[in-house]
Amino acid sequence: MKTKKINTRKKPIVIIDKSLDFYNNISLFPEKVEKANQMLKNVGLPMFDEKGKLVS
Amino acid sequence: MNLERYELKAGIELEAFEFVSIGSKGKIKKLVQFQETNYKGVYNLGFGDKNIETGEIDDTVISNNGDSEKVLATVVATLYAFLDKHPNALVYATGSTKSRTRLYQIGISKYLDEVEKDFEIEGEINNKWHIFEKGKNYDAFLVRLK
Repeated sequence: MKTKKINTRKKPIVIIDKSLDFYNNISLFPEKVEKANQMLKNVGLPMFDEKGKLVS
Repeated sequence: MNLERYELKAGIELEAFEFVSIGSKGKIKKLVQFQETNYKGVYNLGFGDKNIETGEIDDTVISNNGDSEKVLATVVATLYAFLDKHPNALVYATGSTKSRTRLYQIGISKYLDEVEKDFEIEGEINNKWHIFEKGKNYDAFLVRLK
């Protein structure tokens, strides 16, 4: 399995603030998420070949 | 992208991020949330201003704080952090309005050569996904790590 690794130079320094985990179970943008769900239901996800190239 | 960006705070899961935009209108708290959709591993990228007084999040407000490039660079930085923690995730993004989607598109186009080194970006037009190309108008975007 191909391992995906991010370019660490571009990875930002993030200060961990546990109070922000409060939002993990709250939808801050419910309309956007619903829009995304509807769009993905209608269009589906893109298909990729074994090399990860978009095929549809 | 060697652009200036704001300091980021995030929860342990790196699904909710916070930063403060500082510009002509003062300090504006921004929140970015990656929330899983009904499709496993596909996350919606939500981004908006936090009203300090009411605590409400507004993704339609136009801040006009004179720092849009720095804000966009910071949102892209959250993508790097989120996808580092969730390397197999797909991130779905669209604007709250057509004009905002267009702004995202302009931002992606401007730094496409750089972001393409790390991300695969697909754009949706007329109910079909395409590899992102400059100069085309998309309704939504999907981003994943290469």
